[in-house]
Amino acid sequence: MRDPDEELVGRVGAGDKRAASELVRRHLPRMVGLARRMLGDGAEAEDVAQEVFLRVWKHAGAWKPGQAKFETWMHRVAMNLCLDRLRRSGRQGGEVSPETPDVRASATRALDDRQRRDRVRDALQELPERQRAALVLCYYQDRTNIEAAEILGVSVDALESLLSRARRTLKSALSAERADLMSGIETN
Amino acid sequence: MNEARFMTLLSAYGAELSRWPEDERAAAEAMLEVAPHRVKDIWESERAFDHLLALEKDAPASIALETKVVSTSPDRRSVRRPVGALGRWKAPQWVTGGAIAASLALGFAVGYAGEPQPASSESAEYAKMLTINGAGAGSMFLAALDDPAS
Repeated sequence: MRDPDEELVGRVGAGDKRAASELVRRHLPRMVGLARRMLGDGAEAEDVAQEVFLRVWKHAGAWKPGQAKFETWMHRVAMNLCLDRLRRSGRQGGEVSPETPDVRASATRALDDRQRRDRVRDALQELPERQRAALVLCYYQDRTNIEAAEILGVSVDALESLLSRARRTLKSALSAERADLMSGIETN
Repeated sequence: MNEARFMTLLSAYGAELSRWPEDERAAAEAMLEVAPHRVKDIWESERAFDHLLALEKDAPASIALETKVVSTSPDRRSVRRPVGALGRWKAPQWVTGGAIAASLALGFAVGYAGEPQPASSESAEYAKMLTINGAGAGSMFLAALDDPAS
């Protein structure tokens, strides 16, 4: 299957600004989203996304079609940048932002979608980084299991093990939200 | 596909079949059609959990960020190497227009043939960073995989 970005990347390598703008429109939200879910910080996520595109501009001229899917390569670059940052800062997961209120004590309180979303984000940051990386790639970045395994440098079996553990950890962290959601579904 | 395999994949990928291994989706759908109620109940529970996880979505990137990123992209002037010595040659007045045109064309051809290529050592270093055998984050990630604490 032809890489949908191949033609754009070639034009970017030739200095076509319009092609660069289209490539940014296509992929910037995904890159920011990946970095935000991995790092838990919007400003840092934008820094990483910018760095990803600097690498894109640097290597577009030498990109050889057919060697790999360009979007998979971008994801690999972004994930490596995030993992580097996490290691440098000593963040490995298990940290919840001190500003976020702990809603686990109020399991009976009805939660709206925005609160649930915030809890999901907090729970993602609590995951060990390898589980978070696997889940982010497969659930939020729409990478296939093969692409995600390749990006992380693991086998598909190892990826599935990471995903299972991630889901188990998240279910435990989000038990109140799950109960609230299920009760909402049952009464509707 | 047997039930054990179905449950293993469900525990990893959830109830969204588009995430499942491509070559196992059809078998999973067939399995679900005839699955006992307890399996279907587990499926529905996982589907509800998927809905919770899906509340977390990508937001559009700000215009400011888009503009900033695009501004750093290469343009044709930065991609094209300056024309070689012949292009900067200043013709003395006695040279005819045809000779000037021929010289400029030759200079352009020499300059164009020398399109810049990324430094091979830099590309190799970057490729190394991306591979699991390299000394970069990829191999650090793989080393951490062996850590039983995680």
